[in-house]
Amino acid sequence: MNLDPKAIREKLGIGDDKVYGVIGEFDDPHELVQAGRRIREMGYTKLDAMTPFPVHGIDEALGIPRSILGWIVICVGLCGTATAFLLIWYCGAINDKFVIGGKPLFDFTFSIPIAFELTILFSAFASFLGMWALNGLPRLYHPAMNYRDAHRASDDKFLLVIEADDPKFEAQRAAEHLRSVGAETVEVVEG
Amino acid sequence: MEVNPPLVRARDYHDLSEQISSIVEGDVIKTPRKYWITLGITSSITILLAAMLTYLVSTGIGVWGNNRPIGWAWDITNFVFWIGIGHAGTLISAILFLFRQKWRTSINRSAEAMTLFAVMCAGIFPLFHTGRPWRAYWLFPVPNTDLSMWQNFRSPLIWDVFAVSTYFTVSLLFWYTGLVPDLATLRDRAVSKLRQVVFGILSLGWRGSARHWTNYEAAYLILAGISTPLVLSVHTIVSFDFATSVIPGWHTTIFPPYFVAGAIFSGFACVMTLLLIARWTLNLQNLITMKHLENMNKIILVTGSVVGYAYACEFFIAWYSGNIYERFTFWNRAFGPYWWAAWSMYSCNVFIPQLYWIKAMRRSLPVMFIISITTNIGMWFERFVIIVTSLHRDFLPSSWGYFRPTWVDMCTFAGTIGLFLTLFLLFARFLPMIAISEVKGVLAYEKQLFKGQAVEVAAE
Amino acid sequence: MAAIFPKSSDLILKVLGAVVGLGAVAGVGAYTYYTYPTVIDTGYQPVQPVPYSHKLHAGQLGLDCFYCHSTVYKAAYAAIPPTQTCMNCHTKVKTDSPRLEPVRQSFKTGQPIPWVLIHRLPDFVYFNHEAHVTAGVSCVSCHGRIDQMIEVHQDKPLNMAFCLACHKDPAPNIRPAELVTKLDWIPDRDPREIGSEIIARKHLNPPTNCSGCHR
Repeated sequence: MNLDPKAIREKLGIGDDKVYGVIGEFDDPHELVQAGRRIREMGYTKLDAMTPFPVHGIDEALGIPRSILGWIVICVGLCGTATAFLLIWYCGAINDKFVIGGKPLFDFTFSIPIAFELTILFSAFASFLGMWALNGLPRLYHPAMNYRDAHRASDDKFLLVIEADDPKFEAQRAAEHLRSVGAETVEVVEG
Repeated sequence: MEVNPPLVRARDYHDLSEQISSIVEGDVIKTPRKYWITLGITSSITILLAAMLTYLVSTGIGVWGNNRPIGWAWDITNFVFWIGIGHAGTLISAILFLFRQKWRTSINRSAEAMTLFAVMCAGIFPLFHTGRPWRAYWLFPVPNTDLSMWQNFRSPLIWDVFAVSTYFTVSLLFWYTGLVPDLATLRDRAVSKLRQVVFGILSLGWRGSARHWTNYEAAYLILAGISTPLVLSVHTIVSFDFATSVIPGWHTTIFPPYFVAGAIFSGFACVMTLLLIARWTLNLQNLITMKHLENMNKIILVTGSVVGYAYACEFFIAWYSGNIYERFTFWNRAFGPYWWAAWSMYSCNVFIPQLYWIKAMRRSLPVMFIISITTNIGMWFERFVIIVTSLHRDFLPSSWGYFRPTWVDMCTFAGTIGLFLTLFLLFARFLPMIAISEVKGVLAYEKQLFKGQAVEVAAE
Repeated sequence: MAAIFPKSSDLILKVLGAVVGLGAVAGVGAYTYYTYPTVIDTGYQPVQPVPYSHKLHAGQLGLDCFYCHSTVYKAAYAAIPPTQTCMNCHTKVKTDSPRLEPVRQSFKTGQPIPWVLIHRLPDFVYFNHEAHVTAGVSCVSCHGRIDQMIEVHQDKPLNMAFCLACHKDPAPNIRPAELVTKLDWIPDRDPREIGSEIIARKHLNPPTNCSGCHR
């Protein structure tokens, strides 16, 4: 299998003018945050960073909104609570009225442990699957991975990305801007 | 102001990736021989487990020593023992995360893996105690056409099914979530095509995007947040299996906190045993420092004392309640036929860990290795004492008995230890044992704290 | 370094995901269908040593079930008739039919005919024919229209859900005890009404607790 990006582009009929964005490379998370803040001040809006660990302050620097995951999780979690109560009520008091040990067919109290567990279980699935869904993953291919040093973004490099669909984007100028804020290496990445 | 020494010792981020990843990246054939020998031994013990379970299923659970009045014996003892061990993993990964304890990052991955493997071992016992494990789905409210019945939701045993299966699932999701960025690191470092593809798929296309990290951190925080009450609930519900019954020795309200403390105690001890071995065989001294070990020993001291308090409290209540059956049970526990089990438990769980008040003991590798093992022996005996001594003298003196395990009991338990160690060894060899991305976060933080010092430390 | 996966891999991933998802749904559906009690538990029709036709004997000739299975009113077990019962008639009727050769052999030698048991409950279930038949549960409720079967097969699932359904709500299956062997009986009014009256009169109270059947 030929994995050369040029060959792939030819195969898929994507022109060379198709650009993903410009990536600038930093050595230190603090430099990245500083640079990100300055790039944003220049008016770019479609920014991203690729870092080996979550860098504090980068969200605010690049204008990345807070994650909405919490709201998804709480809704799904409450569905879990409701599921447990409805399940126990339906099974015990509607579908199979079977008295055991003289206990009531349904009661709030003995439903609590399972309601608790299902709340947790549903919340966990919501946060796990929700996180991947919000991130658009799993996704095996991404144009940013065409960057020469993309593999070091999971090691020791901190990459700042100006994406091509930014209204202000113009490859050469974006590259210069990145260089001006301190990126050591800057490359236009096609994808 | 006194500054604590750095938690991790690495020159830079790349050095960290190198230190952790190199363990799993070497040629499989070139893995040290001592690894293969150990794996060979543990997997043979696992095969023994498979043989025992096959024998059990084909013959019936009469091959175990359980008999009236001791209907629950080693099976449930082992179940509670393994579940308890699992608790440390979630505690380290979730509760210490919420408390922002940075030292957790070096040990949380292996502790979480340990949780998963311990819960697997735990699950075997109730599953096979049912006698018909292929009907295990009857434990879940699947609409069933065979019986037209539902589970008895009034019973703590079904709560336990929900608690343990939720616990396993959530632990697995939590573990995998934490693993993904490191799998991406392995993918990016991989040289061979096979490793690139395998880790490429496992890492789900993670590329460290800041937008992804935002959601990722939210998910991680939520998972930690929900795992914290979960871990407390699991052993609480396990203790309900006993506490909601009417057997003296079981029917006590102190059980939930007492079980949870004991679980954390035994779990930390087990993490300690495994980490000491891993630290020694894989040379992880730079990443698992004395500071980590000492902190864990402090937790062992605290939880051991909580457990000791619970024992004392049980005796006090037995006397104070004026209930003659309760009094008899506790007198019989300490001085009856199973006195040896009870005193092993008191010594291992309460008396020996008191050595950790002395700093030199907390920092001595041989001492902590021995104590980690005695603690686990003690905690196994705790469950044995609670279950068997309470049952062997029940209300009807004519049915009093004395439980003796059969060779199948013993081999099955030994087999689960084999399974546990096998899984752990495989994990340590093929997946990053330490959370690379999280330790890098700590390193970044410490680089701020110890500007200039980092180089010195690395040069040592 | 070039990306590991080509651009097309995500399409493959999606297709694969869809295939696995649909496969799982299909698998669960197939499992549910093929293990459904009315599918998996019914239809057992072993070859019997003698081609005895229930349709002929019980249906067309109108022999009462009780004539052969004579213990059902007073024993837990519904007896398989001895060869003597067959020979009550077959010493006079069809005395030289080759199909009856095993019966005559059995009669001569005293070796019973190895009939194959069809309706079989697990060992851990206690079932009493007497209790059911005298209460007014017809043969047809559990065995189906035997009088229309040439060769008998298991018609009902006879699983626990089947038993419990009737134990929870016996009225539709209760009829006057003298009519239990009238498999083609058509009630002149709502069978539930008839059943309820008999239940009230006989104080029928079928157990639904575990030890009712699992003693």
